[in-house]
Amino acid sequence: MPEPLPQDAVTATALLRLENVSWRAPDGRLVLDQVSLSLAPGELAWLRGPSGGGKSSLLRLINRLAEPSDGLITLLGKPLAAWEPPQLRRHVGLLAQSPVMLPGTVEHNLSLAFGFKSAQGQTAPDQAALRGALDRLGLEGVELGASAPGLSLGQRQRLALARLLLLDPQVLLLDEPVSALDPESKELVETTAAAQAGQGRAVLLVSHQPPPQAQSMRRLILEQGHLREEGS
Amino acid sequence: MSGAVDIGYGQLALALGFVLLAGGASLWLKLGLGRDLLVGTLRTVAQLALMGYVLLYIFAINLPWLVLLLFAGMIFFAARIVAGRVKGRGVPVFWPVFLSMLLSYMVVSFLVTGVVVQADPWWNPRYFLPLGGMVVGNSMNAMALSLERLFGEVKNRREEVELLLSLGAEPGEATAGISADAIRAGMIPSINSMMGVGLVFIPGMMTGQILAGADPLLAIKYQIVVMLMLVGSTTLGSVLAVSLARRRLFTPAQQLRPGVPGTP
Repeated sequence: MPEPLPQDAVTATALLRLENVSWRAPDGRLVLDQVSLSLAPGELAWLRGPSGGGKSSLLRLINRLAEPSDGLITLLGKPLAAWEPPQLRRHVGLLAQSPVMLPGTVEHNLSLAFGFKSAQGQTAPDQAALRGALDRLGLEGVELGASAPGLSLGQRQRLALARLLLLDPQVLLLDEPVSALDPESKELVETTAAAQAGQGRAVLLVSHQPPPQAQSMRRLILEQGHLREEGS
Repeated sequence: MSGAVDIGYGQLALALGFVLLAGGASLWLKLGLGRDLLVGTLRTVAQLALMGYVLLYIFAINLPWLVLLLFAGMIFFAARIVAGRVKGRGVPVFWPVFLSMLLSYMVVSFLVTGVVVQADPWWNPRYFLPLGGMVVGNSMNAMALSLERLFGEVKNRREEVELLLSLGAEPGEATAGISADAIRAGMIPSINSMMGVGLVFIPGMMTGQILAGADPLLAIKYQIVVMLMLVGSTTLGSVLAVSLARRRLFTPAQQLRPGVPGTP
């Protein structure tokens, strides 16, 4: 069962904190240079920057798929290294840039994470819950029994997001979640991200596109490994 | 038993004609295999001659630790060959391969000589070394196939592995499908050879026994044991090698190692 979050999780000022985090690629290139960032519960941050600027690498470090060369990342005040990796990754959900689907049905792909040891004690969502997760992202036309790899890129992108949301993570790391979507679905995903923040999660959304003007959110820019607030 | 017709050294030299044929083809068709053919021929002659004298010596002395030491030595060289074949994948595999070979081949060879053939004693070198040698020689390819598949699939399916990790899978869970594919790749050749044996080819061991004058029916019994023990040893060897090598793909923090090909 995922470790229950401490009671003060919701009131903690920083859910996620990065202090002077640097990361060097295996080829020696400095991809992230002294990045500091703090995200509070309920905060939605839109991070943009040129491709190759380190956005995806930053998300991988927070999900601990890679290790920073320098600096410290904490979740709920606890360094990432102090968490069991599978538990950490369930709390800090990462939506990767390419929506990978395993061979099999939509239902199988949606419930993947509930078959792992780290899900012990957690009840797998029933068909109605899976259906709801799809419908909320505009996938009403997609059957649970359909082959997941056969769906269009835009559908897979939303299916991957639905799969992640079913895990109920405290922090959402979304890497280019709307890159392949039409304007209508794009708006739906952006609204979903904002709604997730509204429910007390911290959301870090990465995109090479500028954020929608209408929504209020933190705007960050990552360029040549340096992170700054937009306008600063 | 009438025994085989002896081959004189002059006649043995005549067999070199086959290599000359291959060498001629290499020159004529510019295959660039001349050097390899020369080295291969010299090694074949030297290694087999050495093995022949070692066997003579070991049969004469008949000491269990010497038999097992020679067997371990054969495994050592097999492990080096396999590790060489799958190198360049960013993960050193000599020790996982050596350990899985030592364990699985020892168990299978013991079961075959001690329990099935009931050689007395079980380490009797006349049985243990040839049978064990066949286990090593034939299962070595299975292990190389398994590991090549394991590393190839992890490289091609890195995104899938990282997806599963990011959803809370442990490394074993994230590579369960890939490991199964890899083990299957190692097992299939020995299963296939069970299908073709006796129809498509007469196996080397049986050929050797028949040439040496043994009753074909006895040769068949031995061959059946050999075929079945190869299925056992390739299975054990592939399962062990894949599970040990798989661990080396991940860091203690359950990340794919930066050296693993395909890792950004």
